[in-house]
Amino acid sequence: MPNRGSTIDFRRSMIRRRLQNVKKMLIVLSGKGGVGKSVVSATIAALLGQAGFNVGLMDADVYGPSSAFILDAHAKPTEGKRGLIPPVAGGIKIMSVDFFAPGKPIPLTGGAARQVILEMLALTDWGRLDYLVVDMPPATSDIMITLTSLPRSELSTVVVTMPDRLSLSVAHRVVELLHAGRIPILGVLGNMYRPTHQRTISDDDGPKRLAEEFKTTFLGEMPYDVGVREAVEKGDVNGLLKTTFARTLNRSVKRHLLEGPHAQRKD
Amino acid sequence: MHEFSLVEGIIQAVQEAAGDGGGRVKSFKVQVGELAQFDIRLIRELLVELKKGTRLEDARAIVVRERAKVKCLSCGSEWSFDDVVGPLQRDEREMVHFMPELLSSYSKCPSCSKNYLEIEEGRSVRVTEVRLDA
Repeated sequence: MPNRGSTIDFRRSMIRRRLQNVKKMLIVLSGKGGVGKSVVSATIAALLGQAGFNVGLMDADVYGPSSAFILDAHAKPTEGKRGLIPPVAGGIKIMSVDFFAPGKPIPLTGGAARQVILEMLALTDWGRLDYLVVDMPPATSDIMITLTSLPRSELSTVVVTMPDRLSLSVAHRVVELLHAGRIPILGVLGNMYRPTHQRTISDDDGPKRLAEEFKTTFLGEMPYDVGVREAVEKGDVNGLLKTTFARTLNRSVKRHLLEGPHAQRKD
Repeated sequence: MHEFSLVEGIIQAVQEAAGDGGGRVKSFKVQVGELAQFDIRLIRELLVELKKGTRLEDARAIVVRERAKVKCLSCGSEWSFDDVVGPLQRDEREMVHFMPELLSSYSKCPSCSKNYLEIEEGRSVRVTEVRLDA
C-alpha cells in the first residue's frame, strides 16, 4: 500500500459508523418544489413513531428547512461525547440546519450545501434507529447525489409528485435518474389530489403511470387537505396525524412499508 | 465542542486508509481548519489517548492549524478568520464551529456587505497525509 498524500475525508468513516445503527433510510424527494415533500416526510416520520418505531427525521433541505417547523421542534441539539444529540419532537429525533441558523438566510453554493449535509450526517448521534427519514430539497442537486450515494444497502426512496403534468415532468426525471443509478425506489406517491368530483384533465393518473413505467409501486393518491395547513400553522402534530391526508398516508405506509416486502422489524 | 467524536473518526479513517495489509502506520497529518475553532491541544491529547490499542498506537500524529481564507463571491475580496468571525457573538461563533459553511448566515463581506462568503481554506478538519513503513 503506497503512502497516502491526498486528503482523506474522515467524515465518511464517521457517517458509515453512524448509519450502521440505522436499520432503514427512507429518502423523500420530488425534484420539483411545492409538491408537499416536507409535509409527507414529517408525516411519515410521525406515523412511524406513532407505530412504535425509533425514528429520526433529517431535514436535508438546507436552503429552506421546514421539518422543525412542521413538527414544532424548538429545542436545539445538545453536545454529547459522541456527537450532537438531536432534539425530540412528537416522538421523532430531528436534525435540521434550522437549529444552527434559526430564522437566518442560508446562502450556500452547491458545494457548500454538500459540506453541510456531510457535516450533519457525521456529527449527529442518532443512536439506534429503525428508520431515518430524509426530507430532500427540490432539484437533482449535489445533495441528492451525496445522499443517494451513501455507503449502505438499506436505503430506499419515495418520489412525491402532484398529478399535474408540470410536476410529473420533473418527477419523471428524478425517477429516471434513480432508476439508472439502481437506487431502490419504494414507489411514487401522488399528492394533493382534489376530490373526485372536482377533478379535471390535470388530475389524471400520471403518478400511477409513472410508477408503472419504471416498474415500481404506486403508493397512492393523497388528498389535498386544508386541515394539514391548519395543523402545521398551529404546530399541532397530533392534529396533523388526524387529517384525512395523514390517515390516507398511514394506509399507504402500512401497506407498502410496514407490511410489504420492505417491512422493518422493531427493535 | 465535539473533539472526542472527531478524533474517533480520524483514527478510524486513517486505519481504513492504511488498508488491511497489516502494515504499520508511521505517521499521519491532521490539518485543523481555523473556522471549526477546535482546541488543537485537546485534539493532540485525544489522539494520543484514543490511538492506544489501535494500529496507530506508535504512529506519529502531526496536528497543524490551517488558516482560514474566505472569499466574497460578489466582490472577490478575500478575508481572514479575524475579519469575518472576529466580530461575531459567542453563540454565533459556536454555530460556525459546528457548521463552518453557515458563516454566511452570520457574517458578511466587510467590503461590499453581501452575505456571499465562500470558504476557500480552513473550513474544518482534514487528514492530509498517511505514511506507512516500507
